[in-house]
Amino acid sequence: MKKNGNPYEWTADEFPEVTVSFRDTRGVKTGSWRNLRPVIHDQEKYGPCSKACPTNTLIPQYFYQFLERGDLDAAGQVLLKHNPIPSITGRVCPHPCERACNRKRFDEAISIREIERFVGDYILDKKGQPPAKETGKTIAVVGSGPAGMTAAYYLRQKGHRVVVFEKDPKGGGVLRYGIPEYRLPSEIVDRELQALERMGVEFRYQTKVGKDISIEELLQTYDAVFLGYGAHLERRMGIPGDEYLMSGVEFLRHVNEGNRTPPGKKVAVVGGGNVAMDVIRTLLRLGAEPVLLYRRTRKEMPALEEEIERAIEDGIEFQYLTQPIKAEKKNGKIVLTCVKMQLGEPDRSGRRRPVPIEGSEFEEEYDAVITAIGEYVDTSFLPKEVLDDHGWLVADKKTGKTAIPGLFAGGDVVSGPATVVEAIGWARRASEHIHAYVMGEELQPQPLPKTVSFLLIQMEYFQKKPRVAVPELPVEERIRAYDREEILGFNKELALQEVQRCFLCGTCNSCGNCYVFCPDAAVEWVDNKPQINYDYCKGCGICSAECPRGVIDMEQERLF
Amino acid sequence: MSWYWKEVNREEWMNPGHLACQGCGATVAMRLALKALGPKTMITVPACCWTIIDGAWPNHALKIPMFHTAFETAAIAASGIRAALDVKGEKDVTVLAWAGDGGTFDIGIQALSGAAERNENIIYVVYDNEAYMNTGIQRSGATPYGAWTTTTPVKHPEERPKKNIVEIMSAHRIPYVATATIAFPDDLVRKFLKAKEIQGTRFIHILSPCPPGWKIASDQSIKVARMAVETKVFPLFEIEDGERWTINYWPEGRPVLDYLKMQGRFRHLTEEQVDYIQRFVDHEWEKLLKRHQETHGSLPEEATVSASG
Repeated sequence: MKKNGNPYEWTADEFPEVTVSFRDTRGVKTGSWRNLRPVIHDQEKYGPCSKACPTNTLIPQYFYQFLERGDLDAAGQVLLKHNPIPSITGRVCPHPCERACNRKRFDEAISIREIERFVGDYILDKKGQPPAKETGKTIAVVGSGPAGMTAAYYLRQKGHRVVVFEKDPKGGGVLRYGIPEYRLPSEIVDRELQALERMGVEFRYQTKVGKDISIEELLQTYDAVFLGYGAHLERRMGIPGDEYLMSGVEFLRHVNEGNRTPPGKKVAVVGGGNVAMDVIRTLLRLGAEPVLLYRRTRKEMPALEEEIERAIEDGIEFQYLTQPIKAEKKNGKIVLTCVKMQLGEPDRSGRRRPVPIEGSEFEEEYDAVITAIGEYVDTSFLPKEVLDDHGWLVADKKTGKTAIPGLFAGGDVVSGPATVVEAIGWARRASEHIHAYVMGEELQPQPLPKTVSFLLIQMEYFQKKPRVAVPELPVEERIRAYDREEILGFNKELALQEVQRCFLCGTCNSCGNCYVFCPDAAVEWVDNKPQINYDYCKGCGICSAECPRGVIDMEQERLF
Repeated sequence: MSWYWKEVNREEWMNPGHLACQGCGATVAMRLALKALGPKTMITVPACCWTIIDGAWPNHALKIPMFHTAFETAAIAASGIRAALDVKGEKDVTVLAWAGDGGTFDIGIQALSGAAERNENIIYVVYDNEAYMNTGIQRSGATPYGAWTTTTPVKHPEERPKKNIVEIMSAHRIPYVATATIAFPDDLVRKFLKAKEIQGTRFIHILSPCPPGWKIASDQSIKVARMAVETKVFPLFEIEDGERWTINYWPEGRPVLDYLKMQGRFRHLTEEQVDYIQRFVDHEWEKLLKRHQETHGSLPEEATVSASG
């Protein structure tokens, strides 16, 4: 064989006796065989957790920063993109993310909330940088609870001057005055507020909008107004002797303001929601002997399963199918007349409607009776044009816009009592629209990211591993300590152990499967990440089928 | 957690642009084998898919030399190259014979048996796709019981079990015989690295799924290969000096139906036939277990005895 020269210029006698190849196959662009195109959507998709989260926290994305890069600061920054107060949601969130977790169908869901708490606490005193540039726009935020804090954070981050109006002497709203200390210490709320102050958010405490300053004045003075206050008014039972019953919301406020004496030894709590659970567990910790009266059964209780279980662990007595119908005051005690109920046909909420059993009335004597049967929003000072026929505030769930231009709203003030994280999500979305409104920009609707379903997770690549147990106070200790947090949370080691269980749905962790299994050597490895060479990829789909975490999608090739 | 495959490096000895079908298992096998063997390698290829995959003249997909030979001569051509290299004093070059199942189980077996009997210093690899896929899916000695091919149509499916090539080769008392599959890259690469260090005839049997021939979707190649191991249809083991048997991967032991139902070539099977295959696979696994036990004295904890669990 001739060693040198261009084979195309060889004469017949210069060719070797056996045929010899002198070219490689890179000239054959086998990419033209393809009808499906693999596309790498690294960190562009939602895990089911992010989809289930009302504020769409990018959970696998910040886990990735923590786990693969060991960078807690970066993890915190990714987390803060969708949730400005993770140390609070990390304690009180009902974690819909964990119910949606893909891992739940493999072994057990990831302790997403506890990891959020760990990262949130880590970033708590580090966040709060003032914006690089001021826009000169001023925005009023009404209420300093979760919705108000969220709106203030994101609007201040964009460079607007933000003024928060708060009727109470201290900020935090329901986080301070509604949620008991053993679930959320007010010290955490203080530190979250300090972060906002570091950013340059101004707070006007003891200023009640509607009394000290009107909505109309705010709308005139500020470029935009965000209503983010909560549902603080307690529904009354509407039974004879209603005036002897204490409101659950008021009771919690009283305790959180520092008054740590229970209203008596034997206390009845009426209701089955989350406030009822907070009230009754607080009473127990303050030394009372509380009893829960609920008119349906445990199955129909609207409180979070976790909270109900904790209350039962605490040893609290639950009296189901019991409805108070009359209260009287005798010798400083309250005599409560109750009737036993039975469950009838399902009502509009899908729960079976309780029906009184005739002749089953009985009397019981209590030192105090606290009701927690639902809260509602004070809309009395709002302009009529933003309210509906029932007197409820109307605002768009996606944008927070109300009927008045420049007036936005989000959270409990619109939806009625709901969760902290729903308020955060609503306020975060509204803050984007407020920003667009004050800057005179048009906000382009973003397509919803695709979600990595359970079917896209390749189980072969994962080992079963139980959920890491969260350190907690023992029951006998926690029922005596109102001021001590009952869940102690993860340290770094435990958090890392738990985060290692995450499938990282939709986030590439450079496992190399697509590269190793590609029959066409068309997956290239660049900067420790895969890259597809479409000149040669034949579209077999192995990379997509073997991607353990649903990062690679096969998409129809467009021929024309 | 990142980078699962500790044994697999990122050096590339195969160019893209080759002519394999979408999802070809044989190509993954070659890629991984070359990652283990490196550039100081020469290959002989008899008539088989890889003669086509390599590209039409004057193209050649590999970055290392490859010699196309006649169907029956892979092993003997490799022996010749080895002899020539020895004469030239190039001891550090690995000579690899890379043949399909037709060229190994049927047509090339006399040359292979002769080379093994003389203990020629070559690595012989059969990438087994269980039929003559290149010429249009005709049955071979490697076609398993019950499988459809164009010469064993659904009315008369394959009646004989697959030829046990690994036992045939171990009976030659050659230093190293191993099975591997593309779904376990670490295991495959490790076996090639091990084979590279051994002198004499080394035989590696790679199960490499063929999407058109097995009637599977092109993205299922790896999954089918993995399932073949998990159902114990194709256990991963190695035999040293024809005597020491070691099982390398302990499958979770799923029913063979999980493997069969992934493939269109087994679609016509009746329950009795599936049951027969299950019993056959269980029987073979028990034999393998005994041999492992004879070599190592005991079974590790993860060992499960019956295929159906």
